[in-house]
Amino acid sequence: MISFAQYLQGLAGNGDLVTLEEPIDVPLDVVAAEALRASGPALRYDRTDGVDLASGTLAGPDQMQRRKSRPWSRLALGLGLDPEASFVSVLETITSLGPSAGEAEPTYARQAASRTVDSVQKLHLPQGTDDVWPSLTLGVASVSTDEGSHWAPIHGSVIGDDKLRVRTPAALSSLLADDGTLSIALGVPAAAVAAAYLLAVTEGIEVPVQDCGVADDVPLVPTNGGLVPSATELIVETTVADRHPDFQSDRREAWEHGVSSTPLSLSVERVIATDDPVIPFSPVGRPLADDLQLTGLATAATLYRRVNDYWGISPVEWVLLPAEAELGICFVATDVLYAGFEWQLANLLFAFSSLFDTVVIVDEDVSPRELGRVLGDIWVKAHPSRDWIFSESSAPAAKRPRYRKDGTTGARLYVNAAWDPRWEDSYIAPRVSFEQSFPTSVRDAAREVWNDRHDAASVDRDRSGF
Amino acid sequence: MFADSFRTYLHFLEDENDCIRISEPTSWDLEASAVTTLANRTDGEVPIFESIKEDTIGAALVGDPYRGPQYRPWDHLARSFGLPAGLSGTAYYERVVERLRSPREPRVVDRGTAPCKEVVHTGTDVDLLSIPWPYIHQGDGGRYSNLHTVVAPDPETRWGHWSSHRMMIHDDALASLLFLAGEQAPNRYYYEYEPGDEPMPVAVVLGAEPAVQCSTEMWIPTGRSEAAFAGGLKDSPVNLVPCETSDLFVPATAELVVEGRVLPNERLDEGPFGDYFGYMNGPRRSMPVLAVDAITHRSEPRVPFCVEGTGVGYGQNSSSTLQTAAAGPDATLGLRAAGFDVELAVPWRFTSRTVWIIATDRPYPGYLHELANFIFTTWGMLHIDFFVFVDPDVDPLDPRAVLTAIALEADPDADFHQFGVERMPKVPLNIYQTPDEKGSADVGTSKAKTAKAYIDATADRPAADGSEDERLRTRAQELLVDAGLSPEPFDLLGEGGGESG
Repeated sequence: MISFAQYLQGLAGNGDLVTLEEPIDVPLDVVAAEALRASGPALRYDRTDGVDLASGTLAGPDQMQRRKSRPWSRLALGLGLDPEASFVSVLETITSLGPSAGEAEPTYARQAASRTVDSVQKLHLPQGTDDVWPSLTLGVASVSTDEGSHWAPIHGSVIGDDKLRVRTPAALSSLLADDGTLSIALGVPAAAVAAAYLLAVTEGIEVPVQDCGVADDVPLVPTNGGLVPSATELIVETTVADRHPDFQSDRREAWEHGVSSTPLSLSVERVIATDDPVIPFSPVGRPLADDLQLTGLATAATLYRRVNDYWGISPVEWVLLPAEAELGICFVATDVLYAGFEWQLANLLFAFSSLFDTVVIVDEDVSPRELGRVLGDIWVKAHPSRDWIFSESSAPAAKRPRYRKDGTTGARLYVNAAWDPRWEDSYIAPRVSFEQSFPTSVRDAAREVWNDRHDAASVDRDRSGF
Repeated sequence: MFADSFRTYLHFLEDENDCIRISEPTSWDLEASAVTTLANRTDGEVPIFESIKEDTIGAALVGDPYRGPQYRPWDHLARSFGLPAGLSGTAYYERVVERLRSPREPRVVDRGTAPCKEVVHTGTDVDLLSIPWPYIHQGDGGRYSNLHTVVAPDPETRWGHWSSHRMMIHDDALASLLFLAGEQAPNRYYYEYEPGDEPMPVAVVLGAEPAVQCSTEMWIPTGRSEAAFAGGLKDSPVNLVPCETSDLFVPATAELVVEGRVLPNERLDEGPFGDYFGYMNGPRRSMPVLAVDAITHRSEPRVPFCVEGTGVGYGQNSSSTLQTAAAGPDATLGLRAAGFDVELAVPWRFTSRTVWIIATDRPYPGYLHELANFIFTTWGMLHIDFFVFVDPDVDPLDPRAVLTAIALEADPDADFHQFGVERMPKVPLNIYQTPDEKGSADVGTSKAKTAKAYIDATADRPAADGSEDERLRTRAQELLVDAGLSPEPFDLLGEGGGESG
């Protein structure tokens, strides 16, 4: 398990974290968004007033250019994997944090947050461009029941010294008594926040963390609300002030596009922090934001497991909801087992997630590291009439896209950008690539010529892999 | 200062450390293209192979010379037209559109002053195989020339019609040309020359100056001269010189010119070839025959070629760069000239000849249908299956913004529009067609018809006013650069900034 503080050190050690010092005369969500837009490093904001902050720690570069790292590289590091870990290993690691088939064996450790902070307002959490109040994002909420502790994502606003208005999954809210207690952990290990998102998108919040794989990985500590990671940077212990507060907010973390959430008004009872806390935030609503990336990966991990469990074998190589598409399209690479399989697969994905109305199916040998190839194959492998397949107009609108918000039904679409399984092998056009267009002797000679002038590593930078 | 020859252009690249000379003996047989593939996929320097094995005329091969850098594919070409360095995509498009609005007629020069006539071979002296044509991909049907300008007769302009059709070499005097019916020069051959049993004179021009190569890739209206648009592009007339064996004119500073006739009712095998879709494309089919009558060239000619197929996905090559840097601005101008309120028309970066993105206003209901119908019926529709329309505030050179628009704004129920199910003509190159559908039809079209479609990825609500946001964004970008981030990806830090594209 890697604490959030160690994680930041790891990012800095990899040259993937840049520190900004005050004065910063622009809302931090704008700065964070610009760094993400430029596929830049994670940012740490050293502040003299309030806690230090970090952004982009769970996001990553987009895949619209060939790059050294991948959108999931940072999270992979946070999960204890190599930053170069395969996409599928990241998905499988996230899945393993959820409800566990075996007996989880939680460990408990001393709480890292030991000093009390007078007021939640003194944290000076970031205030977005359109925000009235400072906002709290990427929080892990913990609620205790007779079954154990339950985790879920939570975000909201600081509206006074001891008042928060938050949104959290309805499933977590329903576990709370009217005067119940809830703890919010900020700056938790990546595994903990990934687990909270996973439990939300899989509707598994009723499963206590003691029965989840995350308890095997992340040492825990009790709080007034429920168990939280012992290595949490900042803990806000609260009680429910109002189960039905009268406020509206357009701001939604990305998980809320697929998960029902409810508002809560909370009274802050205590704020405890480490000596020098750093807490992450997400520029919610802006492209490539951390919460978007995390929701996309948690959803992809869930779908990957579910579709592969369905057939008794595992034909699906990967599932990807890229943050670049703001989770409005699902890409899936698969072995097309038989004619019509792609229809089944697309409809399974529609059944398992309400986020998207479009599924794009690509061949099993296409790497998730090559979104550029996926975005090419859509148009060259899919026949404009035969392979763009629309359903009848009787489906409810997906949650993520912006169209059809009036409750009317419409069509869904899957694009079959994989080779037709009915074709003979001789019909399948070989790919034009360095590996396939040249025999070994020519490849070796070419590498020798090129590497004489270049760093050999750069030549194989785009080596594919799952 | 502009590049008035291919050599000057290569010197420009050299000045910027964007090309490298490879002096080790290199074979035309896959080796040159393998090295070029590595250069293309790593965004490396343009390779000039100075020592080609078995070469007898001192020729050098140049791998994908027009390929631009990943961030701004148009950079090298902009420099060759004398435009400022580091233009953003939108700024480059506007500058080129402006140039194309002022075509400049070419100038005819004497044979004696034309560099392309330094060496002249006619009659029995002609030896097509003396040129080190590259064998580009394993599995190709033969050795190819695929980065050139085909000059064909045009009854409406003295300067002929310029277009691009790949050429497969057969022996010392014969080649086959990929002539797809539906394109202007092939149409003239199939429907005028061949029925009259008359050979069609053509010239294949290699290593022409960049403005010529760019105008070759443009969709110039019938009756207008590509040569004049090339002159507009570089803001100076292109020098032309008469051919040795026909009435055609060719660019005088070209590296090499193959003069010949497309013979009526003669066919030779052509293909398969690893084509611009990124896949090996077949089957082998019969195509019109070019009988070579003359070869003229500069001494020690530089012979450019394109590793087709590497310009899909993330990679750029000459073909994809020319689409983005030449065909895009030209199409933008064409649509505006036709009265459409188009911001930009841009090929999709990842498959540049199959789908285009058009940022446009929608002044009235039904406008997009009208626009799509206009494009599909007036331009190079054979190759293009899809158009994606986005709002004018979406940068079509920014693929992430386009993907987001498709994901969030294109309703499968209401925003996907087909122009008939499999009723439209189709080139036989698309890999989604079975070999049976591709056929081997005499006139080079597919047996199969296809559907053309457009996607309306525009939003159904007014665009937000981003002026305040842009001021904050600019300041944020300054802070990040001050903190040590590279300025290159930031789009608001002066005219030269801009990742888009």
